[in-house]
Amino acid sequence: MVRSVADRAFLPTKNLLEEVGDMMILTGKTISSALRPPYPYGGEFVSQFLFAIKLCWFPLLVSTVAFGFGAPGLQAANFLVIFGALDRLGGFFVLASIREFAPFVTAIVLAGVAGTAITADLGARKIREELDALQVLGVDPVKNLVVPRFLALMLVTGLFNIYALIFGVFGGILATLTNGAPLGPFWATFFTNASTTDLWGSVLKTTLFGAIIAIVCCYKGMTASGGAEGVGRAVNQAVVIAFLGVFAFNYVFTQTLLATHPEILVPR
Amino acid sequence: MEWLTVPREWLTSAGEIAKFCGKILGQVYSLKVFRFFGETLRQSGILIVSSTIVIWGLVFIIGLQCGTEGAYFSRSVGAPSQAGVFAAWCDLRELVPYAFGYMMAAKVGTGIVAELGSMRISDEIDALEVMGIDSVLFLCATRLLASWLVLPFVYLAAIGAGFFASYLAVVQQVGDVSSGGYFLVFWMFQNPPDLVYSLIKGMVMATVVVLVGCYYGYNASGGPVGVGTATAKSMVLNIVMVHLIGMLGTQVFWGANPRAPIGG
Repeated sequence: MVRSVADRAFLPTKNLLEEVGDMMILTGKTISSALRPPYPYGGEFVSQFLFAIKLCWFPLLVSTVAFGFGAPGLQAANFLVIFGALDRLGGFFVLASIREFAPFVTAIVLAGVAGTAITADLGARKIREELDALQVLGVDPVKNLVVPRFLALMLVTGLFNIYALIFGVFGGILATLTNGAPLGPFWATFFTNASTTDLWGSVLKTTLFGAIIAIVCCYKGMTASGGAEGVGRAVNQAVVIAFLGVFAFNYVFTQTLLATHPEILVPR
Repeated sequence: MEWLTVPREWLTSAGEIAKFCGKILGQVYSLKVFRFFGETLRQSGILIVSSTIVIWGLVFIIGLQCGTEGAYFSRSVGAPSQAGVFAAWCDLRELVPYAFGYMMAAKVGTGIVAELGSMRISDEIDALEVMGIDSVLFLCATRLLASWLVLPFVYLAAIGAGFFASYLAVVQQVGDVSSGGYFLVFWMFQNPPDLVYSLIKGMVMATVVVLVGCYYGYNASGGPVGVGTATAKSMVLNIVMVHLIGMLGTQVFWGANPRAPIGG
């Protein structure tokens, strides 16, 4: 009786902890086998890199322009117009776009588009027993499949952050033009408020987002099981865990960056 | 005309999705769906048990984020007591709907694709048709009605989670403003119509996510691998639609009128 109640209460928690632990182990294995020679993953790396770019460029473009125009663009412009200070929108976009929404929209799109594709691909190989076949042939799946995806997703997420940033600011420009204001003051306040710390913080953050997404999605793909529903279920869980992981990490990172670099908060 | 093939494919599938969604909406609107009200209630129960906690969790994290940014931003412009303005607008108007849409797409949308897709490839949907049950009505319309029954309440509770998180971040963590001062500004910068607009935004996102999920799941093909691919594909469309709805909602509800208690 006590035993069964305890099982009901603690088994989900235990499974969750086990899964997180397994992902940490996979991260460690991935990093060590990425650094240790030989390096057979060059071709796969390039093809995954191009694959992610091909899938993501259009959804990311639409998403960032929409987000930049709607959330920080229209709402902040409305607020600033009340004070007759629409030129400050440029300065606000440094905070909104570089520090916050360009990174997380990039992460959402990469997890939702490239991450799900990776999970579906690896999950398909798992249930066709191709991964087992690889191991029998003496090919290490971590080195040949996970490492190139891990590196490609890290690089592509970091680069896409710049892309998202450009189109996010384009959303801000649209909001300025909607209010019939000139663009000169927008750019002036944007560039006086922008700082290098903000930019490297943003790029570093998204690169680590890419790492989280790659590990979660590869792990879920490689452990897919359970017949017909297995791969779909794996994609479902992968994207949920990736979103939660990315946002939790985002909170900690932003918090630390803001608290340790007070100079980026000074308005100019 | 090589370059026209991709846009033409998109247009074709957009038309097919619209046709399918129109069918489901028609079945709910004409109240045919109440023939399977038991199944609707079962789906509502599944939605409550499996998805609410995750949705509230994501909204909570985003609320913390809004609070932190608001606190530091208002400190940087020399008005730390006004952090409530940023938190109120950021939470209620923008990021709670977005977070809700993201988690709906991730948890509920892909879940529906995986479930219906596996039914399709194991020929369970054909079996339903053979038994004389309208499969779209039984599988898709009930899910849509279930989400309309449950999600408004889930969404309102999610707003509460976001507000609580912002309060924690601004008052308890950064602590530049007192609790009373924060809430004074926070409640002044929002009113019931804002809440209704935010709810409409969230519900439109949820409806689209459920419909897209039903389409991709119902039309899955190509074995277990096909289900995985369909799940991944549905996510692409969901993310784009969530962002577009967010933008259009902002434009329609707050574009011409900031609805702020200050200024002329």
